[in-house]
Amino acid sequence: MAILSLGNSERLFWLGRYSERVFTGIKFLLARPSWNGSCFDENNSESVHFSLMRAYDNAIVLRDEIGSDTFSYVQLAVYEMKNASRSRTPLVGLQKVNDNIAAFWGMADDSISDEHVRGIIKLGKRVERVDLYARNNADSEDIRREIHRLIYRIAKTGLHYDGARLSALNALAGGESINRPEVVREVESLINFSGT
Amino acid sequence: MALTAEELCSYSDNVNEQLARYGVKFGIYKNGEFHEQLFPFDVIPRVISHDEFAYLERGLKQRVSALNEFLRDIYSRRRIIADGVVAEEFVYSGSGYLVPCDGVSPPGGIYSHISGIDLVQGRDGSWYVLEDNLRIPSGASYPLIARELCRRTIPDAFTGRALEDNSNYAELLRRTMDHVNTGGHPVILTPGRFNAAYFEHSYLAEQTGARLVTCDDLVVENDRLYFTDYSGRKEQVGAVYRRISDEYLDPVNFCSESLIGVPHIFDIYRKGNVAIINAPGNGAADDKGIYYFVPKMIRYYLHEEPILHNAPTYLPYYEQDMSYVLANFDRLVLKDVAEAGGYGVVFGSKLSHEQKEEFIRMMKAEPRRFIAQEVIDFQDIDIYEDGVRVPRKADLRAFVLMSDEAAVWKCGLTRFSRNPDSFIVNSSQGGGFKDTWVMSE
Repeated sequence: MAILSLGNSERLFWLGRYSERVFTGIKFLLARPSWNGSCFDENNSESVHFSLMRAYDNAIVLRDEIGSDTFSYVQLAVYEMKNASRSRTPLVGLQKVNDNIAAFWGMADDSISDEHVRGIIKLGKRVERVDLYARNNADSEDIRREIHRLIYRIAKTGLHYDGARLSALNALAGGESINRPEVVREVESLINFSGT
Repeated sequence: MALTAEELCSYSDNVNEQLARYGVKFGIYKNGEFHEQLFPFDVIPRVISHDEFAYLERGLKQRVSALNEFLRDIYSRRRIIADGVVAEEFVYSGSGYLVPCDGVSPPGGIYSHISGIDLVQGRDGSWYVLEDNLRIPSGASYPLIARELCRRTIPDAFTGRALEDNSNYAELLRRTMDHVNTGGHPVILTPGRFNAAYFEHSYLAEQTGARLVTCDDLVVENDRLYFTDYSGRKEQVGAVYRRISDEYLDPVNFCSESLIGVPHIFDIYRKGNVAIINAPGNGAADDKGIYYFVPKMIRYYLHEEPILHNAPTYLPYYEQDMSYVLANFDRLVLKDVAEAGGYGVVFGSKLSHEQKEEFIRMMKAEPRRFIAQEVIDFQDIDIYEDGVRVPRKADLRAFVLMSDEAAVWKCGLTRFSRNPDSFIVNSSQGGGFKDTWVMSE
């Protein structure tokens, strides 16, 4: 196991979260017919461009943890985002952003040898996906599946987490109907870096 | 079959796309704001023959050995001053000399572990040393990654060429760190993402396997340096390749306002409990004023004639040199010894009458602050610009790494000016870079 600073463990987690926020954000955009271009507003914290730049901010300081090849897909996603914003077919451009995010995850999985480093990125991704699905009224079965994937992942990271909240999430996933606001509350408080 | 230079140029965009993909950038502050910029790469390499590089290698090893001896001497016995070879004023009045380093012997006895020596080649083929960089010379990562990406993009360019492999830089650097490691992990200490050379810090950490750290990750306890991991576990650190200048390295011992240093790191360095690479206090030997004395150091310590030459240099501090500088002002280049990065460089011929008068007044008031040099009309090297080959001024930063023996990296950073009328090659002033091919036979 490589030595990993607290700062880098937090950055890896947020790299996972922001990359997922971009990916799912674009997936939602592609699925919806309405379009006003606000996703390219880099200063709007709700936009996918903003999320991508935050993923980049984390990735650029993690080159030694994740490797240049893995980093390069985040860099390529940034270039594709700029191309998409100038394109006559911006949604097709956004699809290319997601191609690179998917490649980034694949490369991270394939080339990062330290399982904790890999695991923390994936944990960030899982936390964000549960959060986004619950906030955006995704199908209950999809939310359940993502909660189970999160539970499976969390123990592999070595990060400290709130066991009571994890149990609560598990119980929420097992209920007949999903209480989405509860899911958001529990998942947002699951990992607390200041307490590790 | 190897490509011609023209064919090589046609791949320029492809190589630069690869460099962009890997985020090969440098940072620059403009109007108080930080910007990341791609470092423009020119695909036509500088080529140095096997014999020519062998000559440079001998000269560089000699020069760096003498500079190391000088640092050891001025922080201990000061023989060179007592013997009148180097004027005391040039050692102790410079900002690079650190009083706290007096009497401190660094681990392994090495001061300048990584030296960046800037050279130019005159039109007659002679090489001149323009500057010694013994503090934190940067730039090796750029030709290192550029070579790899060129090989990937244009494999034919390398076919059939007897070229020295440059991919061993990380190995040389790691060996340099390990040689002086006092026990524990090697780390690269960066001021952080908003440093101009952050790409280099992170890339060298990746390539050497040393951990990239900021001051927040390190702590001094019980006279040892530790890295704290995310579970609170502490791991000892034995070698710190710091990319932070001396004054910010330790807020307890140097600049108390530093937010990027490690409190008490200098205290444990003094006790021999951690290696700091390069050693604090090296600025006393790479000051532009001290440069004048390097050939004398070589004769004094090594009893050899210098293999590499300085550009003809004058110190207005000496009366005779001041007279020469005043008489020949218009054909000299004048440098402020406190400046770096291409700043503080003035060509006498380019000053107006008023500017000249003002400069001379300053020089007379503070003669120790300036040096004057003959302008070396160095060779132009072709670059590829807007579809055509054009000549530009270029220098070469050669890297010498010191472990159990001195090793000269068989490559180097060739920097060029993109402005046809300029001799300034620094990236911070718009310069670009090239790979440096050292032929193996």
